[in-house]
Amino acid sequence: MQLQPETQSKPAALPQKEVDALMQHLRDAFKDSPDYAKRALEELRDEISTLSDARMESAGRIGNRQGEVSELTIIAPLVKGGAERLRKLLKVLHGNFQAADKVGSVHDMRFVFIDNDTRLLFATAYDGDWDVYINDFATKIPNQLDVLFSVVEGWPGIHSPQVKDFIVKYQIAADAWYVSNPHMTVAQARRLEKIDTALAQFLDKIS
Amino acid sequence: MQTQQETQSKPTVLPQKEVDTMMQDLRELYKDAPDYIKRALEELRGGISEIPDTLMETAGRIGARQGVVSELTVIAPFAKGGAERLRKLLALTHGNFSATEKVGSVHDMRFVFLENDTKMLFATAYDGDWDDYLDDFVSKIPNELDVIFWNFEGWPGIHSPSIKDYIAQFQVAAEAWYVSNPRLSVPQAKRLEKIDKALNEFLDKIS
Amino acid sequence: MATVSLELTEIQATLLRSRPAPYYGTHVMLRIDDARGGRELLHRLVPHVDSAADWWLHDNAWTAVTLSYAGLVALGTPEATLRSFPTAFREGMAARAEHLFDFGPNEPKNWEAPFGSGQIHVALSVFSGDQTKWRLASETAWTQFRELQGVTLLMSQDFGAQPGDLNSFGYKDGIGQPAIEGSGVEPLPGQGRPIKAGEFILGYPGESGVPLVMPQPDILGRNGTYVALRKYQSRVGAFNRFLRENGNTPEERELLAAKLVGRWRSGAPLTLAPERDDPALAADPRRNNDFDYAKDPHGYQVPFGAHMRRMNPRDTELAQLTDVNLHRIVRRGTTYGAPYDPDAVSEGDDEIPRGVYFIAMSAKAMDTMEFLQKEWINKGDFMNLRERDPQIGLQDKDSVFTIPQHPVRRRIHGIETFNVLRGGEYLFMPSLSALRWLANLGS
Repeated sequence: MQLQPETQSKPAALPQKEVDALMQHLRDAFKDSPDYAKRALEELRDEISTLSDARMESAGRIGNRQGEVSELTIIAPLVKGGAERLRKLLKVLHGNFQAADKVGSVHDMRFVFIDNDTRLLFATAYDGDWDVYINDFATKIPNQLDVLFSVVEGWPGIHSPQVKDFIVKYQIAADAWYVSNPHMTVAQARRLEKIDTALAQFLDKIS
Repeated sequence: MQTQQETQSKPTVLPQKEVDTMMQDLRELYKDAPDYIKRALEELRGGISEIPDTLMETAGRIGARQGVVSELTVIAPFAKGGAERLRKLLALTHGNFSATEKVGSVHDMRFVFLENDTKMLFATAYDGDWDDYLDDFVSKIPNELDVIFWNFEGWPGIHSPSIKDYIAQFQVAAEAWYVSNPRLSVPQAKRLEKIDKALNEFLDKIS
Repeated sequence: MATVSLELTEIQATLLRSRPAPYYGTHVMLRIDDARGGRELLHRLVPHVDSAADWWLHDNAWTAVTLSYAGLVALGTPEATLRSFPTAFREGMAARAEHLFDFGPNEPKNWEAPFGSGQIHVALSVFSGDQTKWRLASETAWTQFRELQGVTLLMSQDFGAQPGDLNSFGYKDGIGQPAIEGSGVEPLPGQGRPIKAGEFILGYPGESGVPLVMPQPDILGRNGTYVALRKYQSRVGAFNRFLRENGNTPEERELLAAKLVGRWRSGAPLTLAPERDDPALAADPRRNNDFDYAKDPHGYQVPFGAHMRRMNPRDTELAQLTDVNLHRIVRRGTTYGAPYDPDAVSEGDDEIPRGVYFIAMSAKAMDTMEFLQKEWINKGDFMNLRERDPQIGLQDKDSVFTIPQHPVRRRIHGIETFNVLRGGEYLFMPSLSALRWLANLGS
């Protein structure tokens, strides 16, 4: 079985006039930069003229999305002793995020303590729009969410009607968001990994 | 072709005695928490007793990794006028990250302006090891890096020997890092999408 | 009879009375020109609005009265009360087009008058299983506003009485409904466990244990619910052409029609009748919904993209964590216009007025409609698919529909939009006491 190689579609390009205008704007913005930066800028002309096909869009109420994959970035204050408690909890869990597996749409997720353990940075890449399934999480994994986020000052509890507003309060939309495979959801990735295994076994059998 | 391991492997279950000790540690940790949190904690016992097969490890000098996917989280101060220039740059290039495509090892990446444009949060998920990742960027897209990072306080220029120290200085390691498909690298994901497309076309033809 | 813990005498009948077979009725839309006239209208209608107390009397005619936000404003509802309604309801369905994925042909600017104009203030519906009783009830309703100053009739549409009780595409529809806890209605096999009343009626605890947000004051919100009304034009020509192009024999075409929905056109579910239709099964309400998808993990019986499986996934393993009980609606859709014509194949046939007034009710109908439209109808990710609902999805130029089968799945290309949205509105269905409260505004 000979699979046809995928034809590489050429990315669209901006018309030269537009690129010229853009470059001029950038030169203005960088007019006080050292020479090496100015030279580097000139080298970027080609790249600047190509258009990416996946545009950054809104992920709902707040946050950004490229294709199917969205970003959620939160910086929230921790209660006194909260960092220590969360640190210990995460250690005890051995980085076991069964709940995230269950959610099924989380690509990646990190917990970072900043500002001398007074604030929590939570950053995730996930599929779709963030507020759409929050009621589902509230009935299916309320305990995990409550135990984890109880270290955040003012956490109203996952069942509170204020919970979405609470999240929005501490969420900061990214100004730029890039995803390598914008149309690959977590479920799609898992399915494709299975197909790959099956395909390899099949090809082994017939060769 | 490398044979794929079975992606859905059963997690290891800890012996009851160990789980009991863990639960006791957690109860101690949450002794001042409100009742609903204490109850929620008890509900987590089942999840706590299972250890996933891919645990969190280190990405090298700094940062966390799960499987092949690592995290890098940097919070850096802007140089004078740097925030404004970077905003202009991002706006003018319409979120065009063809440079990052070139590097080929970045899963996702976000730029978040913080604290009235005095600082920037840069958070990414990438393949492999910290040192290799930075070497890759430096060798493949030095111009882009200079043009972007010159906007930050104290940027030594991409070819300076202290470049890694500069990044490490502003990087914060994640306490916890979760990845949904820890064995799926960016090139692998792209390959799988190609296979999926070709396979669908083939199956359409023969059905 | 199951336990009753709801105030049935307050709740409007439509919420619990299932659609009879055959069914007859009329939808009337009115505009309130001055507050006094609007209040007088409600005052006159209230004695004729039925409660859910005798929910089993399907053959009796019953009248339902609902109001849009614009209608509440026209009635002179106090500002604080108006502000207590949810944003989506206040904006009205036309303004929520982006949230509802109502693009292209479904855009509000393409809607039929009076939809989308903001003039639909009161929507009144008469339902009955008996033709004579329907006409009597209809005449009674008309008498209340016929000579009334201060209200204007915008449109009136008779519906129902289709041959065989089939919808515009020849299907028996409206079978699956949620069971509501405390309603006293004995659940039918397959409806699943009764869902907390608060998901469907305001003022009672929902699935999370707390009541959903309710408009104020209490007397206005309690025992009320919201209605999402969407009028669709059914493109029967396109549908028949699709069956003929993708099925060579009448049997193949019927099976294809079944695969699009998950039920044969008789109503028999594919899960219980995977290869051949079973009209006796279809006609038995104690059997025709009694199934789940436990034995169909690959979609060989009911495709994952089939309309029924999308709208109620039951125990299907979804791509992301979902509580299916949070996304249910009570449906009281009504077919209107010309009956199904198996020989209609022209583009002209697509335009012959016929289709459905899709009516969905729940205590959070706006949220649920917007969720369903965006997540489960016009997207397939939750089922790990890249396609849209074959019955009510807004299709693209090269949309596909996948039928899992052995040895190779069948993917049909070029599926068209079969139901086009001609208009819609979000409505509030007040309790009987709430209707009286509204009728007495200003006094």
